[in-house]
Amino acid sequence: MSGGYKQQPGSGSGEVRKDGKRVAGKQSFGPPGSGGSRPEMKPRDLDFIPEMVGGNEKQPAGAHIHDRARTGTTVGKAIPLVDANAKVTGQAWYGDDVRLPNEIIGRIVRSPHHYAKVVSIDTSKAEALPGVIAVATGEDAPNKFGVLPVTKDEHAMAVEKVRHVGDLVACVAAVDEATAREAASLIEVEYEVLDSIHDMKKGLEDVDEPIHWRGKYHVGTTNVQKRVFQEFGDRSMVENPNAMYHGKWKYMGVNHGFTEPHAVVAHWDSNGRLQLYTPQQVPHYAHRALATVLDVPMHQINVIRTFVGGGFGGKSDPFPHEMCAAILSRKAGKPVRITFDREEVFWVNRGRHPSHIEVQMYADEEARISGFDIDALIDGGGFASFGHVTSYYNGVLATAPYELGSFHYTGARVWTNKPASGAMRGHGAVNTRCAVEVGLDDMSEQLGVDPIDLRLANLLPPHSRTISGFRITSNGMRQALQEVRKGSDWDNKFRKLPLGKGIGIGCGFFISGSGLPIHWDPNKFPHATVHIQIDMDGGVTVHTGAADIGQGSTTAVAQVVAEVLALPIEMIHVRSHESDTSPVDLGSYSSRVTFMNANAAIRAALEIKEKLLNAAWDTLGYHPDTLVLNDRRIYYKHDPAIGMSYLEALHKAQEDKGALISSGAYRSPPMGGVHKGAAAGLAPAYSFSAYVAEVEVDVETGMIKCTDVWAAHDCGKALNPLAVEGQIIGSCHMGLGQVLTEQMVYGRTGHLQNANLLDYKIPSVHEMPNVTPIIIESCDPEGPFGAKEAGEGPLLPILPAVVNAVYDAIGIRINDLPLTPDKVWAAIAKRMKVEGIDDPSELPVPRLDFSELQEKLAKRAAEHEIRDKKRQRSEDTNAYVNGVLFGFNPDIPLEDQVEGWKSADKPQPEQLAELGLAGKAWLKQEQRHMGGEN
Amino acid sequence: MVGDEYVSMIPAATSEVWSAEVNGQVREVLAPSNAILLDVLRDKTGCLGVKRGCDMGTCGCCTVMIDGQPRLSCLTMAQDANGSSITTVEGLADGAHLAPIQQCFAEHGGSQCGFCTPGFLVASQALLNTNSNPSDAEIACAIEGNLCRCTGYQQIIESIQAAAAIHRGEAESAQAASDAHPDPHPSGPEEPTMPPGHARGNHVWRLQTAAWKRFGRSPKRR
Ligand code: FES
Ligand code: FES
Repeated sequence: MSGGYKQQPGSGSGEVRKDGKRVAGKQSFGPPGSGGSRPEMKPRDLDFIPEMVGGNEKQPAGAHIHDRARTGTTVGKAIPLVDANAKVTGQAWYGDDVRLPNEIIGRIVRSPHHYAKVVSIDTSKAEALPGVIAVATGEDAPNKFGVLPVTKDEHAMAVEKVRHVGDLVACVAAVDEATAREAASLIEVEYEVLDSIHDMKKGLEDVDEPIHWRGKYHVGTTNVQKRVFQEFGDRSMVENPNAMYHGKWKYMGVNHGFTEPHAVVAHWDSNGRLQLYTPQQVPHYAHRALATVLDVPMHQINVIRTFVGGGFGGKSDPFPHEMCAAILSRKAGKPVRITFDREEVFWVNRGRHPSHIEVQMYADEEARISGFDIDALIDGGGFASFGHVTSYYNGVLATAPYELGSFHYTGARVWTNKPASGAMRGHGAVNTRCAVEVGLDDMSEQLGVDPIDLRLANLLPPHSRTISGFRITSNGMRQALQEVRKGSDWDNKFRKLPLGKGIGIGCGFFISGSGLPIHWDPNKFPHATVHIQIDMDGGVTVHTGAADIGQGSTTAVAQVVAEVLALPIEMIHVRSHESDTSPVDLGSYSSRVTFMNANAAIRAALEIKEKLLNAAWDTLGYHPDTLVLNDRRIYYKHDPAIGMSYLEALHKAQEDKGALISSGAYRSPPMGGVHKGAAAGLAPAYSFSAYVAEVEVDVETGMIKCTDVWAAHDCGKALNPLAVEGQIIGSCHMGLGQVLTEQMVYGRTGHLQNANLLDYKIPSVHEMPNVTPIIIESCDPEGPFGAKEAGEGPLLPILPAVVNAVYDAIGIRINDLPLTPDKVWAAIAKRMKVEGIDDPSELPVPRLDFSELQEKLAKRAAEHEIRDKKRQRSEDTNAYVNGVLFGFNPDIPLEDQVEGWKSADKPQPEQLAELGLAGKAWLKQEQRHMGGEN
Repeated sequence: MVGDEYVSMIPAATSEVWSAEVNGQVREVLAPSNAILLDVLRDKTGCLGVKRGCDMGTCGCCTVMIDGQPRLSCLTMAQDANGSSITTVEGLADGAHLAPIQQCFAEHGGSQCGFCTPGFLVASQALLNTNSNPSDAEIACAIEGNLCRCTGYQQIIESIQAAAAIHRGEAESAQAASDAHPDPHPSGPEEPTMPPGHARGNHVWRLQTAAWKRFGRSPKRR
């Protein structure tokens, strides 16, 4: 290994002396500005400066509000994550890597029963064991908590009942792990076993002992945690459809499968403050919940986010084991570390909901989509978690990117005696999206048109409103579809490949940040706040609560600050680990971090920039508007020789006040309708994606291999193309797991059978297809430099793309994920019986003959393309609401011009009879519950 | 949970002296005779870079090199590694100078959350030590025991290929390697006319590379 490769910053230079020793080196960049050893400045990187402000970067979508803040420093460049060196050297500290002096080890005692009353707990034997320092049970922490304020239903440890196998009952702390495990086994718990339910359909029925009493109101005495009804548009449109799809879908539960098991270290310091180290996506929720459970004010708790070894939604709840560690540590007076076994990771779960989803979709004579009927019953497991929101997302996130005549959704989330389901990458949207996209494929076949053209002719344009009232700003859906069509050579392959080979399309639509912060009113308090501080040395310290879970949020924040201030990214130090120093932030979920935190960071950086320019104005005498910031220098636009270094300007700006400090915040604009649940799915921007997948199906065995994926994702503007591509490919991997191999298998008695990574099948490197990431940049008007999310949306399209490709390959649609070989083979065998053939190689493959509609659609798509371009560049600023495609006037409320147009959040009595499976939850009356909890 | 047949875990097995060369330093520690190598490395020798993802040989996060061979430390008895020479992720760098494989993982997006990264680094370094010109298939076989939930492996393979180029001396540094990135096993013409998606997963980037050769600038690396 010869020298020459890069070094860790601040270390040797890579030069070797004669005696073989390394020469101590300099930073890879010189000291700031003209006073240093490298007074020369790098020329401005015009390729990364937008053309509207004199650079060479093309702006097909027109100017952006942040254009003038661009300096060509980092934005748009593929740079490594700022914490990459910590990760490749093994220095990154994850939950279990926090080692404090005198630490002891905690273990959790878990329920062996699905559902039982805890009659008594005898801890005496455990306490008597030498080496045991503390034991705690539910009595030590009776306060309830939950991630959403409306559904607080968890305790640190079981208070009255255990609700699934693996539910927490007690915990112990001892000098070492062996003693802790031994002590845990010595805790004797007496249970009174109750009738457990495992089938989510049973959750709709009345029972004697619901898993929870739903606060003040309860739907009958069922296990329904949340029921949703949403109806928009004119229902009469779906009568006499030209094409119709009806699909009953079954999805298994999926676990996040992050590589780092949960771990936590709690320590009450000498001032009696709790220091809690935890790999959390949302340290702020944990912070709030800890305060509630421990009865300690929030300012007496410091939540320290360690590096997070993968989150994907699975580390966003406040977890009971975090409370346990804090309780044990308080009792023991020593730091307590609890680390999970992989099995325990499956017991806390919070993965994707197992669900039954039924969709009916209709298209009219012009191949417009006249209606979606969606019914989603989702299995929440033992606790509410994020389920309140998930129940909405399963429906409302299907209202775009297509223009709909009507939309009808009923959803219900039920409690069952399984580990709780929660938020997982693509929260709530994934399963319904798969069903809907497959439905479109099916309808295009009935209509005799190309499924891509069907989509292209039914898209909502940029700057429009969906049927449910979501405000769509930038929209790169059309371009994404066109790119994957071109890239995959779609027109020569679709319905033309031989048996066993297939190609399929799928689209996605996802929120970029949730419009409603869960814990406060967005009109009173911002979504995200970022502080910047610069002291005499010129280094920029950025304080943010954005939780980097590997997606690179720290890098994104550092990048935008570096961009605005035209500083090397090495000079930006992001501090985001501690709640003591970070402004309150909602953390990493709903794909909000880049959008909201980077926006806040830009604001804070602009304030600093203004101070620097004013200082330069004082010295140089040129107005800030004529000054340019570039590579640690500030100079006069027309004569770069007239200028001063960044450090000089900084010191001038600091003359009277010392360190420069600024604060920036982001608040989403007011948006959305007024109906119940209008806030669910509301976001300041939405991402769009389209994938084409190619698969090979072995008709003899039912084995599916996905070989190629063309993945186009509209992320607004790729702040860091390397990271965006990584997110796209990673999403493909995770989605592919759900569609082909991954499932949480519950046995006949309801026991989870594959709580380990051997039986829970995450795709390995051999199952990965060639993924061609294609970045679409629609430049969102409100996004930071135009950026939107790229972390979750790219997961959605891979599922339907694969399912559609399988149909293209063997002519069979399977509505039961994952598509494991046994299911596929069973479907092939059934088809062979129906067709009366013995040899699977004789299976008929679908072929497509275009109907006369095809030409019409292509024409309409071409017209819409022109319309979209105009709207995107704001040449056409007329209002556009869902319904214009059907001939309605966007300037008059639709209720006034269409008879029967409505928007409802409760079913009418006459509708009750025709409700779907989940809709059955509306048959029961809500009743005030007098006894029980709350 | 508690039954008569329960076998107590404590008092633990007797402690014995365990010694091995860990990252070039001879270490002698007292460890229970039935200790697992992963525990000894993490708890006794301070190699917290070795990660525990599953404890049962399914994730690869705990991979270390024992006498040059990649091994899962969670499935290795510490006593079996007694007297051997062990390299963990902490031992890959030369002082403060990152090994090419580390630099390439950072530069090519081979590491997102980074929890799997130590295992991947050690497994791929073991491959590069014996084969500095691996094909994508050979790389896939070398890392098949490692799970990564974040990256989808594609950028990991790119990183390893880039590091291999440095090992072969074809690229001076990761920076240069990423620009030149010669393909040891070309499977298609490297012309921008190539239909997208057919050479290999990373061809988009390759196309761009070809483009910048023409136009004199790299669209990605500056
Ligand atoms: S911890 Fe050794 S393979 Fe997972
Ligand atoms: S980088 Fe997160 S698991 Fe591989």
